Parts: sequence; C-alpha cells; structure tokens
Amino acid sequence: MLRFLIPIVVLLAALITLVLLDRGSDDAEFVIASENEVFTLDPQRMSWLTDMRMAYALFEGLVRWNTDDFSIEPAVATSWTTSPDGLTWRFELDESARWSDGSPVTAHDFVWSWKRLLSPDTAADYSGLLFDVLGAREFWDWRNDALASFDPSNRSAESLMDQTDSVFAETVGIRAIGDHTLEVELAQPVPYLLDLLAFAPLLPVHRPTVEGWILHIEDQEVLRQNGWDAVDPPAWEDRQFASISPETGRLTSKHSWARPELMISNGPYILDEWRYRRDLRLAQNPNARSHRPGSPRSILIRSYPDPNTALLAFDRGDLDWLTGVSADVRRDLLDAADEGGRDDERLVRSIHAVPAYGTDFFSFNCRPELSSGANNPFHNPLVRRAFALATDKQAIVDHVTGLREPIASVLTPQDAIVGYEPPDGLGFDPVMAVAELASAGWTRNTSGELIDESGRPFPPVELLYTTSSARHRRIAAALRSQWQQLLGIDVHLVGKDSKAFSVDLRAGNFMIARGRWYGDWGDPTTFLELFRSTDGNNDRGFNNPDIDARLDTAKHESDTATRMRQLRSIEHDIFNLHMPLLPICQIVEVTMHDPADTSGMTSHPRLIQYLGDVTCLREEP
Amino acid sequence: MTGMRRLIVMRLVQVPFILLAVYTITFTLAWLIPGNPLEKDEGRRPPEAIATAMQAQWNLDDPWSFYWSYLGDITGVNWLLGDQTGPVIDFGPSLRHENWTVGDIISDQLPVSMTVGLSAILLALLIGITMGTLGGLRPGSWTDRITGSVSIIGVSIPAFVIGTALLMLGGVWLQWLPIGGWGSWKHILLPSLALSLPFAAWIARLARQGVIEVMHADFIRAVRAKGVSQQVVVVRHVLPNALLPVLSYLGPATAAALTGSFVIEKVFAIPGLGMHFVDAVLGKDLTMIMGVVLVYSAMLVLLNLAVDVMYAWVDPRIQLNGH
Repeated sequence: MLRFLIPIVVLLAALITLVLLDRGSDDAEFVIASENEVFTLDPQRMSWLTDMRMAYALFEGLVRWNTDDFSIEPAVATSWTTSPDGLTWRFELDESARWSDGSPVTAHDFVWSWKRLLSPDTAADYSGLLFDVLGAREFWDWRNDALASFDPSNRSAESLMDQTDSVFAETVGIRAIGDHTLEVELAQPVPYLLDLLAFAPLLPVHRPTVEGWILHIEDQEVLRQNGWDAVDPPAWEDRQFASISPETGRLTSKHSWARPELMISNGPYILDEWRYRRDLRLAQNPNARSHRPGSPRSILIRSYPDPNTALLAFDRGDLDWLTGVSADVRRDLLDAADEGGRDDERLVRSIHAVPAYGTDFFSFNCRPELSSGANNPFHNPLVRRAFALATDKQAIVDHVTGLREPIASVLTPQDAIVGYEPPDGLGFDPVMAVAELASAGWTRNTSGELIDESGRPFPPVELLYTTSSARHRRIAAALRSQWQQLLGIDVHLVGKDSKAFSVDLRAGNFMIARGRWYGDWGDPTTFLELFRSTDGNNDRGFNNPDIDARLDTAKHESDTATRMRQLRSIEHDIFNLHMPLLPICQIVEVTMHDPADTSGMTSHPRLIQYLGDVTCLREEP
Repeated sequence: MTGMRRLIVMRLVQVPFILLAVYTITFTLAWLIPGNPLEKDEGRRPPEAIATAMQAQWNLDDPWSFYWSYLGDITGVNWLLGDQTGPVIDFGPSLRHENWTVGDIISDQLPVSMTVGLSAILLALLIGITMGTLGGLRPGSWTDRITGSVSIIGVSIPAFVIGTALLMLGGVWLQWLPIGGWGSWKHILLPSLALSLPFAAWIARLARQGVIEVMHADFIRAVRAKGVSQQVVVVRHVLPNALLPVLSYLGPATAAALTGSFVIEKVFAIPGLGMHFVDAVLGKDLTMIMGVVLVYSAMLVLLNLAVDVMYAWVDPRIQLNGH
C-alpha cells in the first residue's frame, strides 16, 4: 500500500510547490472586469476600444476630451494657435510634463511617435490618420516604395533608414521648434484636427523604452535631465527592441517593452503589473502632471471570459465596473430596469445600456459579378433598395436582439457629433420594396417565380454572418424570414468563423454580409470615408465617382457649416439612392457600475472613459 | 531492473521523433486554418501593402520557410548558429498578442493549469477511491447505489453546469469563496472540484470493479481464514491489487487534467492555458498553437513514461522489457 502512496505524494508535492511559487494578486481601489482582454498597450499599434482605454490611462496626448460633450481640453499642450488659412498649427507644451522616469516630455517625443505611426514599418492600422499632414502621405508612399525596391546588394539597410529620417524631417509637416513647441503643417484644413490629436494612436511613446536603448551611465543622466533628444541614439546593436533587417531594409520591432518592468509612460497611471489574462494593474504615476482629486490610486483590470461569472462577481461586490456585458445575461436585467419588479435593486440600478458610436449593418456586394463569375443582382441599386425597404428593423431590435437599440437608416449614429444631424434613410415599406424590385426588372411569372426580362430566376441569396456570437445568427435568421416573406426570395444563411469570414469578405465572396463599424474621430467622415471607392475598408466594392468627387469637395471645404451640409447630403444620397449597405441599428454597449459607488463615468456615445476621471465613493472594505 | 532501464532509454530516444511528428502534423493543420493571424476580425484594416509586408516579416507567406525557421527556433539550432542572444528555445512572439512571447505566456499560465489539474486529480483520487471502495465492498447495497448514482452524475453533467452551480453555492450563497479569478488557495478549490468530478467518477467505477474482483479472489479468502480483521484485509491486501487499474488510468487522466479545461477555465475566469489555446486556434496564432502543443506533447510523453515505470514498480509481476 505504501508504494501506492508514492505517486500521490509526488503529485501533492508538485501541487504545493506550484501554489507556493505563485505570486498572488494585489487588491486595487477600482476594479474593472471585461470580457475582452487587452491585446496591446502600444498606442500606435492598437485599434480596440479596450486597448485604447488603457492607453488613455498610461499616456497623455497633446489634448484630451471633456467626456461629457467631447469638446477639447488642453493636456500636454497648454495652448495652441492656428494660422488664418487653418493650415499651420502651433502647440506650446507644458514644460513641467514628465515621463514616469522623470525625464521631460518634449516636442521631440510627439514628432518621433507620429513618425512611428506614419512609418509603414510600424504597420499601424491607423497609419492613415495623419495623411492630411503636409507630405505625410507622400512620405508613407515613398518609404513603402523604397522598401519594396530595396536591394541589399546595392545599399545598406542602415543608409536607407538614415535617408528615411532625413526625408521625414525635410518633407513632413511635423516639426519640433525647440523642446516645447510643436508645429503641424497641414496639406488641407482638417476641421477635426484637435479631435484626432486626442485619439490613442497619436499619444506619445518614450523612444528609449520602445527601442530598448542601452546607454552609458552618464548618458542616462543626461537623458533624465534633458530628454532623449539630448543624447546620441545608441548604435543599432545597442537597441534591444529595434533592429533593421539587412535583407528587407525594414525596421523590425520587438514589442516586449510594453511590460511592467520596462514601460515608461507619461499619463496619470503607470503599468504596475501585467500578467496575461490574469490581472493588469495600474498605479498612479508619481510624475504625472496632475491627478484629479478622488481618482483611484490603483486600478485592477481582470478578465472574465464568462459573462455569467462576471455578473456573479459584480453582484457580490467584487467589481466596480463591468464592461461589455453579454447578450443573454443582460436582457432580463434590462427588462427589470425598465419594468421594475425585481428584488435586487443594486443590480438593476447598476445596469446601463448606452448607445455607442457605431452601427450594425449588412453589406451588399456591389460588384457587377459575384466571385463565382455569376451576375450579381445586387449590382443594381434598385435591388439593394428593395431589400432595405423590406427590412423591419424595429421588429429586430424589439424581438431578436432584445436590447431595443435605436434603429438606424444611415451609418452615422444620432446625437454623437456636434453640428451634424444625420439624414433619414429608407424606412420599412414592403409595398414599395416589391415595386422597387419590379422597376429593377424582377417580376413574377404565372407560377409565382421571380424572373428578369430574359426569364432567368432571381438567384438564391446567400447571407454571410459570423458564428462568433448568437446575436449575429439571430439577426441573420430574422432577415432571412423577413425577405422570404416580403420579397418571396430564397435566402440561405452561411455562417463562418471570423477568420474564414474575413477571408470571404476581403475577396468579395459574398452577396450580403454582416458588418459593424465604430467611428474613430468626431466627424462624419469617420463613417462616410468608408464609401470612397479607394478606401481600404470598402468591402462592398462600392464604386461611385459622384460620391468620391463630393467627398473630395467636402474635404477641401473650409467653412464648417457648409461642409457639414455637404456631408449630410452625401450621406442622404448614399442611403436613399445607392444603399451599398443596410444599417440595422446603433450599437448599444451594456455596462454595469453602481452609481452609488462610482461617479465620473461617461455616457456619451463615444464611450471613451478616462480612468483618472473616475471617483470611487465606496468605503474601503 | 535492466528491463526498466532499457524501457526508459528506449522511450527517451523516441521523444524527439514523436515531437517532430507532432510538430509537423500540428503545423500542417494550423496552416490550413483560413485567414491571416495578423489581421483583426473587425475594425479598420491597414493598407494592403502593409499586410503583405508583415506577412513576409513573419514568414507567413511561405509555409516551407516558416516550418524550418520555426523548427530552428524551438530546437535551439538557430540560437546555436546565431548570435546566442535571447532564449535558447524560442517559441517566438505571439502573433496576436504582440507584447507577449509564447514562452512568457506558457511559463505564466502552465503553472496555473497544472495547479488546477493536480489538485483535481488528487481530489478525484480521494473521492473516487473512497466511493469505489465503499461500493465495491458491499455490491448492491444502498451505499453502492448512492455512490454509483453520484458517479453517473459526475460523468454526465457538463462542466459548465457543475462549475456555475459550485460558484452559486460557494461564492454567492455561502460567500466563502471568491467568484472566479486567481491568486490564493481559495481560488483553487471550486475549479478543481468541478474539474475533478468526471475523473472521480471514473476512478470510482474502476476501484469498485477492482475491489469486487479482488474480494472474490482465493488469497483474500485465505487471509480471512487466518482471522485478519476486515480493515487490514481491505487496506493491506484488497486495495493494492484492486487499484492497479486506477494507477494505469492515472497517467492519461493526469495529462488530461493538466492540459487544462477550456470550460472550467472560462467559467472560473482562471488564467490557464486551456482557454488560451482555444483562442489561439480560432485566431490562427501559429506560434502560440505550436508552442502549446509541443509543450503539452512533451509533458504527455514523459507522464506516460512515468506511469509505466511506476506501474512496474508498484506491481513487480509486470515485466518490463522495452515493449
């Protein structure tokens, strides 16, 4: 029998060792839980809302938003001036701004970080954000061409990098004038420039950290006193996280600087702990310019992949703020919040459904032919209009999603952009839908079949959706039954996992496909540029020279009111005449926080929450 | 013990070949997942030129070159031939979570999965052997029926139901234990109990069967005839023989428990590898998939070897001759 105990003792010993080796988690004043995890903490590389929330806590940009109305407030830039033509902007930086290591935040930090965003080597999703800066687009193209045609036998990768630096300095309108003045020169006026400058990808990063500089002690001291610009950058061999590939000429970066032991930031918080999927802990940055009174001294972000567990944890008071509450859990609580009659008052008063800065929609494939080579009935805008008119969106938000989202007839959400009132698109009109199909040439023959003039039947419609969430499947199924019933057209659902879905979407291998778009900056162009034929996210293959030309006209219009009118008329025509995509509803974000415990939470559709603005009213347990 | 030594050497020689086969098969399957791991599922996309260049940078445009260069990284060959900076065995950065290397993630999360797995196995042994022995000593009795039903429930109720029920019980009603997360011994109890139940049920059935068989064996009758007490009979003579099947089940069970359970990790919000692996497959995070599969394969091979050795040692009747 003793021998039997040996394996058990071995297992037990292993277990005890593991438990003893594990470092526990510290508590924090403010605990956030999210279903989504943080992908990256590198501002120039991020594109998710969850990641950006972290970026706003860790880094501070030139300006920031007042999250009540999304007007602009000064941040690192204390003041700014604009030239009369609106092309040259000058920002005066707060001379007392410091990185968390005590070194000064200078204009060079912004120039370098923005160059990083603008370099093809960084492969930022938002590299196009600054393309309206003088010479920026040209710089991007130039570097891309130089990399594509790079021949290591002709020149060294380092000389190309040196040339890149000088091309940027000479041609791109982003300049440091001294240490504390930043000048931005635009190619054309950008009325929403300040809004862009508050956006996460334009936050500054600390170059010596990002590149992993290995410096001599005396240089380290100079850097701490005067900023990295005051020392010579070390040779490429002495940069831990950046190197130039001798074969491709490309700057290759390791991203492991975004870790607690290494990261230097200039925002209200520093990264105190980050264990993947376990805990991300922020502590107040002692070198921050200022802290709001009452803002949490420490913040813990925990990941709860299961929505039920997260809700239980919130219910018990383990969490202060739960973001992204999931579909099936939230419906009954929201009903209770509307109707009352639930005994758990705290849960009910804690749930908040906030319309977000984004829209759920379905894309029509607008190309003349499908990827199979067959004729595409949706090439005809009348057919697209017919499908839109035959969609009862109210029924979908009332009975299918159950969240009662505001239904949408255009892409730009309501009440989200100051000075822009989105136009009305097509409503629900089954009679007109059938008429529309008829004017597109699709009529019923004696046996009730829908045929065109040459007698060919309407092909069965394939509706592509992602299987990642039940919500998408339910909406797709509702659309199928509405269209089959009202238009008499056969609709097949094609569900794919998100990777396979994006492959099909890219290749135009669909007839109708689900989609979702969040706006980035506070201007209608963040939605409307999607309809430019050359836009990288134009999955629909929508190509309308008139819309392209009018978008250009609006881009060069300097009078704000006129410009907004132009944009409104573009959006009106897109969603009344062309209908390249069928908006369903504004996205609703469901979050939980108890107003009795927490204040300072934004309820503006843009949903950007500065964590330093939060105040915990709860007594420490 | 020459037989055993030979067995160990033979098995250890096989390990690299097994791992190479695992690497090749996993790589082929993972490569066939559609899509580009560097691309996000939704939202703004970088220009096409960028996407292509990034694919090239990670060798994602050429399976052959990815296969060989990654093989060089994880075997340490590239380290030997290169400038010998960085880790010897380099699983590379995660393609989807770029701030992390696969090595970081595995070394952070494998211990968590192992903690839950080991405590689940220990709990399963405790629960399973107790129930099986009680049932097997009096087959057909009430005790037997109760333990039998409990083990059927353990096998048949899905983990997410048991998990949520345990959370409700321990965390919400009794308020004794935390709801999800990781960081102290209190976090371990509920998930390991939930994970242990199916294993406990199997062990109970194996133990019960073993006890019933051994109780009818001639040598037990002989021992009893000597007047040895029931307790001593059971502990000294019945269990060591009856539990041999449990021991051989212990190898695969430990491996299965250690590899982490996607469902348990999700329900209890445990930062273990099981959940991450599922995400890696869905997101086609090639380096992550390869890293996790290889580490687990190596663990599995070694665990099986350990069980074989242990088996021979516990029961000297078993001859080990390398087969």
